[in-house]
Amino acid sequence: MGLFTRRKLAEEKKDESQKIKSSKSLSENIGLVKKYLKDCDDIVYKEFRVGLEQKLEFTLVYTDGMIDRDFIVDSVLGELMIHAREVPPDPPQLKDKLFELVRYGAIPSVEIKEIDNLDDAVLAILTGDVILFMDGIEKLLVIGAKGWPTRGVSEPSTESVIKGPRDGFTETYRFNTALVRRRIRDPKLKLKQMQIGRRSCTDIGIMYIEDIAMESLVEEVQRRLKTIDIDAILESGYIEELIEDNSFSLFPQVKFTERPDKVAAALLEGRVVIMVDNTPFAIIVPVTVTSFFQAAEDYYIRWLPATILRLLRYIAGVVTLIAPATYIAVTAYHPGILPSELVLSIAAAREGVPFPAVIEALIMEITFELLREAGVRLPVLIGGVVGIVGGLVIGQAAVEAGIVSPIMVIIVAVTAIASFSIPDYAFSNAFRLFRFLLIFSAGFLGLYGMILMILLILGHMAKLKSFGVPYLSPFVSFVSSDMKDTVPRLPLFLMRKRPLQTVRDKIRLVNNRHLINQLEADAEASNKRRDNSDKK
Amino acid sequence: MIKNNDIISPYQISMIVIMTMIGASAFHFVHDAVARSGNDGWIVVGIYGLLNIVAAWLLISLNVRFPGKTFPEYIQEIIGVIPGKIVTIIFIAYIAIITAYEVREFTEVAKMFLLPRTPTEIIMLTLILTCVYVVRGGVECVGRIVEITFPLVFIPFFLILLAGITNLELTNIFPLFRDMPNKFINMAPDIPHAFFGIEYLLFYIGFMGKPQKAYKPVTLGLLFVTGFYVLITFIGITAFGADAVPKYIWPLLSYIRDINIPGLFLERLDGVALAIWVITVFTTIITGYFIISYSFSKVIGTKEHKQYVLPMVTVIFYLALQPDGLAQLYDWGNIMFKYVSGVFMYLLPILLLIITVIGKRGGSRNEKA
Repeated sequence: MGLFTRRKLAEEKKDESQKIKSSKSLSENIGLVKKYLKDCDDIVYKEFRVGLEQKLEFTLVYTDGMIDRDFIVDSVLGELMIHAREVPPDPPQLKDKLFELVRYGAIPSVEIKEIDNLDDAVLAILTGDVILFMDGIEKLLVIGAKGWPTRGVSEPSTESVIKGPRDGFTETYRFNTALVRRRIRDPKLKLKQMQIGRRSCTDIGIMYIEDIAMESLVEEVQRRLKTIDIDAILESGYIEELIEDNSFSLFPQVKFTERPDKVAAALLEGRVVIMVDNTPFAIIVPVTVTSFFQAAEDYYIRWLPATILRLLRYIAGVVTLIAPATYIAVTAYHPGILPSELVLSIAAAREGVPFPAVIEALIMEITFELLREAGVRLPVLIGGVVGIVGGLVIGQAAVEAGIVSPIMVIIVAVTAIASFSIPDYAFSNAFRLFRFLLIFSAGFLGLYGMILMILLILGHMAKLKSFGVPYLSPFVSFVSSDMKDTVPRLPLFLMRKRPLQTVRDKIRLVNNRHLINQLEADAEASNKRRDNSDKK
Repeated sequence: MIKNNDIISPYQISMIVIMTMIGASAFHFVHDAVARSGNDGWIVVGIYGLLNIVAAWLLISLNVRFPGKTFPEYIQEIIGVIPGKIVTIIFIAYIAIITAYEVREFTEVAKMFLLPRTPTEIIMLTLILTCVYVVRGGVECVGRIVEITFPLVFIPFFLILLAGITNLELTNIFPLFRDMPNKFINMAPDIPHAFFGIEYLLFYIGFMGKPQKAYKPVTLGLLFVTGFYVLITFIGITAFGADAVPKYIWPLLSYIRDINIPGLFLERLDGVALAIWVITVFTTIITGYFIISYSFSKVIGTKEHKQYVLPMVTVIFYLALQPDGLAQLYDWGNIMFKYVSGVFMYLLPILLLIITVIGKRGGSRNEKA
């Protein structure tokens, strides 16, 4: 039986006996470990002797590059090899309590635990822990000394804000959970850990606040995560695809974020957050359509500008979805809707354009998508060239050559800008694709076709659910208090209840605004009193 | 997880009432109302609307006796399994015809104003197939789509109506209250046409957790519908005068077409209004369509209704193709709504209610459980 199968079996049966026990003999243990880790040349076996008489044989095993060498040299090797000699030998005690001495008395590490099987030991070695094998003792010590190269906490590049915290998640799972814990110092904030991926053994953490998130939601998330049986989880996108409700929908049914403040806010709304090791993107579930139009900054600036900006974003969403399609429908099918002067100027601009409006729109939209795709993966230095090619060569030259009309160029440009204003990347991708569907339907049946396609999209959204929550809520299953944080962002003191429907502890804020006036009045009164007493 | 499939909220019930009743016929309704009742049409409509609320209450009180059950389920309890199935099948046929009528009527309007050169069949098929997608999603999906489309339709539509306010001539409504009894009697046959849709409640209230909660939303929904009809009839009368309205087939569209605001980006609003109107027709069709496929599955005795949705397209498509043109469609529609609708909307529920009350069915059964 291989290592993975055994580990899986042990997990399924909750039976530790499946694992291979370590023996008392050091050489036997090391031999077995070496057999497992054959041809893994980055594993280091550091043998050393301890004690005044140098009779105790110890071995440290670790993966090179994944541990903090300084710590091991100072706190493990230094303590055991040098300081242990300074202690006068006390043979009977040593013999009986060698393990306890080392475990509790010798190694000044915060993270130390004992195990008794080689399967866990090998996993720990590959995780970046150091294993201490001692001759004559069955138990093994796992010393936590992880120290691999990491990126420091830096500003998230995909979700930057003007006002707000600048820290973002990194690739290290433990840093990420700490960033969230720092924001919510509540014992009810729970973090359940598990490992997913037969080969990668990636750390996955489920975070939720116990008395806010619905129990059933947390259970459902755990249940879905447990169904995953895959070789490796390289990014949280893997998790998304394996647990989302509808894999064939264009709409994202989970939300990714790099921002710890967003995660904290989601937790406080009763959502569940899934943290994945090796990626700065955490997963938030469940989500509704409104969460994709919310930016972190909405809550850090005053509510009135925030509402207006959010309204702008919704308008941008509509524009990016229907602008080219409307142009096609109106010019090709219903020019009567427009004032005659406008019709004339559009007709004049389109004079000499050899294609119907649909083809014209498709040419320009596809060109734009090409430019965008090319720009995303190019190094910054070449990126500027794409702008020149796009702006000058394709835009201007295409108009001058009479292939597309200038109005079409304007429409595509407006659409593009609008699509960049949707804060969520995955969601704006969905809108990009639906835009093409709308262009086709408008070309086929005019405004009527457009409306049918919009109804189809709406129908699809009405069917969708994200972890049991209707995707279109709170617009459907209408709860008026939930509407306070949708298109408008009302002042905080009015949002007394948590927005998600599936929460237990509903009240998030007690409106004490009236106390401010009260305090002022009190202060004034006390001032007066003091004045009076001064006079006396 | 919270699996609340097959449950609709009270709010969604009132949306279903509104979006079902207000459909393609609203454009033509003004014509009928004014032709029958002249310049008092709007008052007569309003009073009939209030009467319909009472009818709806009777209907709900039937449903309350069978909580959690829809029409095809409880009718078998009231009059027996086989007669129940037969009545259900007749009901299905009736709703299929109404749905087909709506499809065809809208197609004719759309052909006239939006797509003059597109074949009728294409317009109809695309509309029906779009509905199929939503209906397959089940009653929850129907409820949600009705809920989300309501503001999408009525906010822009009221804005458009508001834009033409300068075209109204308020003196056209005078003289008031002349010859009211005759006006009421004349209008009566047209009422089922305007308010068809309350019989749909026989099906939809069964999907509510507590049918007793249906009274308020249904009343609110019907008040909205009544208000809407009063408004458009009033607009028709004041815009054209009671004598001129019957000369238009779709007075409301003509009114919108006449709106011309200097400086407005759009010149003719009827295209826009119609494009928005697609949505209400769509919702009217899906609420009917869902009943057809759902009841059919109940008659056959299967759990799921999904598999019957697509085959039903042929039935509705075939029915919708039968009239030769608009004139024939309206002739047949008149017969249908005057003589048949009333049976299903008022007679049948009241009969069932009487049988239930006398036979003490439903309620007693519920107590045991």
